Amino acid sequence: MTEEYESVDLVADDTVRNLAAAAVLAALTAALAQLSIPIPSVGVPFSLQPFGSFFAGLLLGPVWGGFAMALYLVAGTAGAPVFANGAAGIGQFGGRTGGFLVGFLLGAVVTGAITHRQVAPRSLDDISVPVQLVGLFAGLAVVYAVGVPWMAEVLGISVRAAAAAMAPFFPPDVVKVFVTVGVVEGGHLAIRE
Amino acid sequence: MLTYEPGDSVAHGLDPRGKLAVQFGLAITVFAYPTPAGFAVGGLVAVAALAAGRLSPVSVLRAYWVVFAFLAVGPILGGVALGDPWFRVGPALDSLRSVARVVPVVFVSAVYVRTTPVRETRAAIQRMVPGRVGRLFGVGVGLVFRFFPVVLGDLRAIRTAVRARGGERRPLRDRVRRILARGLQRSFLRADRLTLALRARCFAWNPTLPALRFRGRDYPVLALGLALACSPLFTLVPGRFIPVA
Repeated sequence: MTEEYESVDLVADDTVRNLAAAAVLAALTAALAQLSIPIPSVGVPFSLQPFGSFFAGLLLGPVWGGFAMALYLVAGTAGAPVFANGAAGIGQFGGRTGGFLVGFLLGAVVTGAITHRQVAPRSLDDISVPVQLVGLFAGLAVVYAVGVPWMAEVLGISVRAAAAAMAPFFPPDVVKVFVTVGVVEGGHLAIRE
Repeated sequence: MLTYEPGDSVAHGLDPRGKLAVQFGLAITVFAYPTPAGFAVGGLVAVAALAAGRLSPVSVLRAYWVVFAFLAVGPILGGVALGDPWFRVGPALDSLRSVARVVPVVFVSAVYVRTTPVRETRAAIQRMVPGRVGRLFGVGVGLVFRFFPVVLGDLRAIRTAVRARGGERRPLRDRVRRILARGLQRSFLRADRLTLALRARCFAWNPTLPALRFRGRDYPVLALGLALACSPLFTLVPGRFIPVA
């Protein structure tokens, strides 16, 4: 019987903290994807899934926020029922909404890059609200820029038709950007500091 | 919902890396070839996977009916026209063709989910993605599996609490803001406790991995996966080396 002896190479405290935050935020994104609030007057449900991507970029910065979203996608690919309506598996990326899943990852990276402008996340107190809004809207634009052509390709329809199909979802998403800033600016997250 | 179930089928006994290779390879093949030949290959692989995992197609349809319902919308959206014919068959068929290629991928991934324990997937990811990034991914995916039900429970509890206090009568924005603020707060409390627990347990870059070993029957599966993944290159070969009259 062979035995190995090697020294334990501990993970740095900052990395442990960011890894834990990214994993929990990925789980939160997965949980938010399962909840949606029906709005009878508009006809489309108010999905909470995009908030996961917004928070990942805004709170964890470009690298760890992107890592959180990548964890979410890999966990879903590996079979956790984390996508909307409890779906899982690589087949989701070939589906109608697969582009939006990839868009959430890229969107979180863009939001993090614009708001934090460095790898390590800064405190949100040091980032003005307009910068946060610009970052979130850029992230949202990336989500749609990836999601709509992907959907057109999967369904074999024109980009214009896909954009028309997704148009009812856009105004609620704009509302979500403002709600996100309202939540992080509301002083509810002081516990994290 | 479809989740891992212990069993003794052929698919249960295979190495997760081979199974992942077939999944990715199939996805590449069906998207490169939206042709009858491509569909035939996809269908054959899907049927073989279902047989290897002893999984009934009906249970897959039942578990993934939402996905299939979404896919079915495609041809309808593609065919509807705002003009005289109202429904054009050509674009609808095009759309049906691109939707149909997703179906075998969904079936094969369902077999993977049913026959592969999460621990093995985690070990496979850790082996395939090199270096520290792969290790963080391996641990992170395990943590997401662990925390997903817990955080979902948190959110449901918050939603129930908001409802119990008459939250249904409040404006939508207010309701969402309450759910998110409490949800984030609880999640980050969990993250802080998790950080402490990881440090207390000497969370290291070099832990003991579960053993993954390729056996004889894993090699054909891996070969199939690689062949499928490289299939877009095959079309170039006959034209170049074997003159087609």
